[in-house]
Amino acid sequence: MAKEKQEKSNEKPDLDKVVEESRRDFIRRLSIAGAVSVTGAAALYSGHSFEKAKHSKGMVRVLTEDNRLVEIPADQIKDLKPDIKALKARGKEGLQGKRWVMVIDLSRCRNARKCVEACQSAHHLRPYEYHINTLVMKESVNTPEYFMPKPCQHCDNPPCVSVCPVDATYKRQDGIVLIDNERCIGCRFCMAACPYSARMFHWQEPSQAENDKEKVYDVELNVPQKKGTISKCLFSADRIREGLLPYCVSACPNGVFYFGDENEDAVTNGTTKETVMLSELLQKNAGYRLQVELGTNPRVYYLPPKNRLFEFERGPEKEYREETI
Amino acid sequence: MKYFILTVLFIILPPVIAWGQDWVVPEERKGRLSTFPFTDETRQSGEKLYLTNCISCHGNPGKGNYINLVPSPGDPATEKIQRNSDGEIFYKLSVGRGQMPSFRNVLTGDEIWHVVSYLRSFNKNYVQKVMQIITSSAYPGAVIMMTVGFNEADSTVIVRASAVDEQKTVPVTGAEVRLFARRYFGMMVIDEEKTTSESGTAVFKIPAGLPGDKEGNIHFSAKFADEDLFGIVSKDTTLMAGEITVPVSLLAERSMWNNVRKAPIWVILTYTIGVIGVWGFIFLIMMKLRDIYIIGSFIQGKKSSEAI
Repeated sequence: MAKEKQEKSNEKPDLDKVVEESRRDFIRRLSIAGAVSVTGAAALYSGHSFEKAKHSKGMVRVLTEDNRLVEIPADQIKDLKPDIKALKARGKEGLQGKRWVMVIDLSRCRNARKCVEACQSAHHLRPYEYHINTLVMKESVNTPEYFMPKPCQHCDNPPCVSVCPVDATYKRQDGIVLIDNERCIGCRFCMAACPYSARMFHWQEPSQAENDKEKVYDVELNVPQKKGTISKCLFSADRIREGLLPYCVSACPNGVFYFGDENEDAVTNGTTKETVMLSELLQKNAGYRLQVELGTNPRVYYLPPKNRLFEFERGPEKEYREETI
Repeated sequence: MKYFILTVLFIILPPVIAWGQDWVVPEERKGRLSTFPFTDETRQSGEKLYLTNCISCHGNPGKGNYINLVPSPGDPATEKIQRNSDGEIFYKLSVGRGQMPSFRNVLTGDEIWHVVSYLRSFNKNYVQKVMQIITSSAYPGAVIMMTVGFNEADSTVIVRASAVDEQKTVPVTGAEVRLFARRYFGMMVIDEEKTTSESGTAVFKIPAGLPGDKEGNIHFSAKFADEDLFGIVSKDTTLMAGEITVPVSLLAERSMWNNVRKAPIWVILTYTIGVIGVWGFIFLIMMKLRDIYIIGSFIQGKKSSEAI
């Protein structure tokens, strides 16, 4: 073809041929133009119908990662798989402007163990692996025994974080102390440093390791758990992000736990959902914290076991660990 | 002295015993009835709520497997609990006492009625009475409105309730109003329940130092306590009634546990220079040793070639 064309161009132009060629060209061009205009119209129409569909679907309200409520067009929503980097980044940041605080009312605890069970099921732990413990306490010979739930105290001056050699455990701006199990080397320095014995070590393969294989690791939930690393209470950082009370707090049937934001000076009871002023609650009930003399500055407050609602009762069905502080 | 003690005991004991045995429900709450008839649907919903909220103490109704506490929670299927009127059960579930938690912030009014309907399914003799008039409104035909304002002078929030008719606006008097401030996990009751005055106003004292946001704004919500009489009327407003709170990150200061991110430049510099210096010195010595070795083997080679 190319050769023929070259030859043609070398030849002297034949008038008839030229006329015929130009007619052919004209028809060709016409058909091309027709095709183009048809596709263009189709594209325009589809675009128009798309726009129409877009408006008919309307807007959708979405809660962003930094807890803002925004509105976006419904058709612009893309399904995203939670990716580990994003989960870690937000787990590292924490919620801006918050300072989480827990209050535990010892006068209401009857060792129902619902907090322990809820925690273990959320964090995929065995019945003898604890993030929260209910201890039997007895201050001295003449004083009565009482139960004391003891989660991680989320200290403002955490010795565990100071000693971590690989920066795997860290404190967030909202006060929560978390562990990155993918960074943890399992040296257990933090266990030794913690004065509250709040940390546990996975000596064996975690109970649901098989089922959790496919799951994306969430640093705010510590699931999937990893053998040879540390785990501990996380103040249910994943639930708080959604505006829900921690697992243990909402599971308690006796109103032992209060949880809230110190900046708002308010804590909410997990059982009655009553919100009260934190400062007033602590003042009226002589709230205290554990081992403040160590300078750890814990974020968990206790109300003394005064006017107890329940008789102290040891039962065979109840598991507990004894510990004296 | 003996008589004195006895008299004191006689005066003190009766109310104590009464508290221990009877749970007195206010007269006007006793006769309260559900506004809807109990059906299988309400019973199912009630069962679900019972299983999440009540079972840990009361056990399964009819099984008698409640927990041994003093006073005893009791099995809700027994006559002791079933002889309460609907209104009494509703009141006890909502208000609570001692170990029995209050559920009025956990469940809505309808949900509490669902639980009552579930409990009644264990009583064969029970015949339900439904409240005939849904709202015995004190202001028939009028729309009840509320306005909420802040008085900076004595830091009070004033709620004004009025019934707006086609012709006139009448203040709502004698109505119980509650004021809430929104917090992260729920609504916090401000002051206590107040009754509207003759001008239809209720004044709530804001507790000193109640934190607001960066501008001191607090989101308030005012509600009528008696939903049966007034319907669900509430008014949401944002007022500059709180302390200005500028939150400070807990990582703001330098400390032992965030030294990686917060270390001052001179520390990083001295440390880096120190490390480089020490390792550099070690490398220098190793290089010198290598040089000596090369020179040594060169001389050795020369000597052996001379020997040949």
